[in-house]
Amino acid sequence: MLNVDVEVDRRDFPVRAALHVADGERVALFGPSGAGKTTVLEVIAGLVAPRTGHVELAGRVLTPAAGPPVPPWQRRVGLLRQDPGLFPHLSVGANLRYARRRGAGPPPAELGALTRQLGIDGLLDAMPVRLSGGQRHRVALGRLLLAHCDALLLDEPFASLDAALRRSLTALVRDLAEQRAVPTLLVTHQLSDAQAFADRLAVMDRGVILQEGAPDEVVLRPASRHVAVLVGYLGFVSVPGGQDGNLVAGVHPDRVLPVADPSRGLVVSGNVVAARPSGAGWEADLRAGDAAFTCRLPGPPVGDRVTVTVADPPYFGPDGARAEPALAAGDADP
Amino acid sequence: MSPGDLAAALTGAGNLDPLLTSVESGGVTLAVLMLVGTPLAWMLARDRLPFPRVWEAGILCSLLLPPLVIGLLLVFMVGPYTWIGGILSWLHQSATNTFLALVIAEVYESAPYFVLGALAAFTSVDQRLEEQAGLLGDRPFAVFRRVTLPLAAPGLAMSLAVAWARAAGAFGAVVIIAYHPFGIPMQIFTTLQETGLYTALPYALILLVVALPLPLAAYVWSARAERRRRG
Repeated sequence: MLNVDVEVDRRDFPVRAALHVADGERVALFGPSGAGKTTVLEVIAGLVAPRTGHVELAGRVLTPAAGPPVPPWQRRVGLLRQDPGLFPHLSVGANLRYARRRGAGPPPAELGALTRQLGIDGLLDAMPVRLSGGQRHRVALGRLLLAHCDALLLDEPFASLDAALRRSLTALVRDLAEQRAVPTLLVTHQLSDAQAFADRLAVMDRGVILQEGAPDEVVLRPASRHVAVLVGYLGFVSVPGGQDGNLVAGVHPDRVLPVADPSRGLVVSGNVVAARPSGAGWEADLRAGDAAFTCRLPGPPVGDRVTVTVADPPYFGPDGARAEPALAAGDADP
Repeated sequence: MSPGDLAAALTGAGNLDPLLTSVESGGVTLAVLMLVGTPLAWMLARDRLPFPRVWEAGILCSLLLPPLVIGLLLVFMVGPYTWIGGILSWLHQSATNTFLALVIAEVYESAPYFVLGALAAFTSVDQRLEEQAGLLGDRPFAVFRRVTLPLAAPGLAMSLAVAWARAAGAFGAVVIIAYHPFGIPMQIFTTLQETGLYTALPYALILLVVALPLPLAAYVWSARAERRRRG
């Protein structure tokens, strides 16, 4: 179990984080660049000292509320960054065995099984500079696992890799973290990575955790308009007939149906401002009254005006907090 | 100059003493630089020293000042009428015209070449690798031994080789505080003054032979280390 409750001073804004990650649980700390996510990881790893707070891991107090913290080399915390940090003067095998320096190295069976699982068993004599990006990350991950850390901290480890490799490595880390039953904390600014990896999602911005919950819950029911923007809602339309006339509905591009179906959500008609191919479909920018939003459609929009249904949208009051309208669905203002 | 002339010039009684003096003093100088200069450079590279700009300025001073001026300053720092000179005298030592004085002069002339080179070598080591080694369980000294030092080693070796060449050829500060015992540069100077260019040339050749191998070896070793890293 990893328990973190810290406040860290930074030049731009203080970072406050309270997180609890159970053994075997995978939590993603998601937010824009510069939100303070990496700072949280560095505090857990002992690389940054918090102003106040404590960090506990596997029953050990790593950073006490008062008194000296446990130094990084005694924390048993594994940190994998975007740069895998392989030692360039050591072969792959020596990198993998790095943490087991006092004995004769990891048992051959463990080393062999892990390298096979990671697909790097033929690379033990190679130097890191000869490896591809994906291979380097696999070696770095193997090195952490052979160090038998009590927690895995992943700081956007696969951000520089292509989408397919990122998906396969994310799945691999997820499986390995589950097998080892260690608390795992992923920091990312890619929502899809967070959703693919985590049991639980924590949304952070400007040093504050804004919402925490199951990935689906956070994305479909953002706690505020601010969180909605962070998780990808690209437009907000006014809702007529609500108890409070100032309610707005969040429009997520992936939650727009190309038909008018009031039974499934909010029906909105808008003028097509721009349209472009996007993936297997099209992306269109619509303007409905004062509101502008983007939606994905299966094909190019026909005509200058289209009507769509925003499926089960979240609603927000004038203060930006989530609100429930008196009329859950219907036609939007314009 | 024929090989016979060279052999005749070097086989006289005591003719190789300057060579031994230079090798011994150069060796001690390198040991001092490694023991003192390496941690100093590491601390400067990792911002572990207070007032780092002051330290860097002090190191640069000995690089920018003419060696003769360094010699004059050393007289005022460690000469017989200074408090350091007093302590040395109490220990029956002297920092003028002794082997110790020669080493001090060579250290001052060569230190900036080593320290600044070592500083660059340590700065080039990615601190995230050191952090990673720490997180994998290494204490700071083990991180230094297993990661920092091997990665900085090619740069350190080159810096040490340059410092060696500088120490072996040190003359300006030496002529002020360590006229005796004669190292090769002083031997060249006095031979040139007393008997002319022709008899001084063999010593110049020796200086070249003494000063050159270490830089060459360091270059070859650095290149091999780099090749090994590239797999």
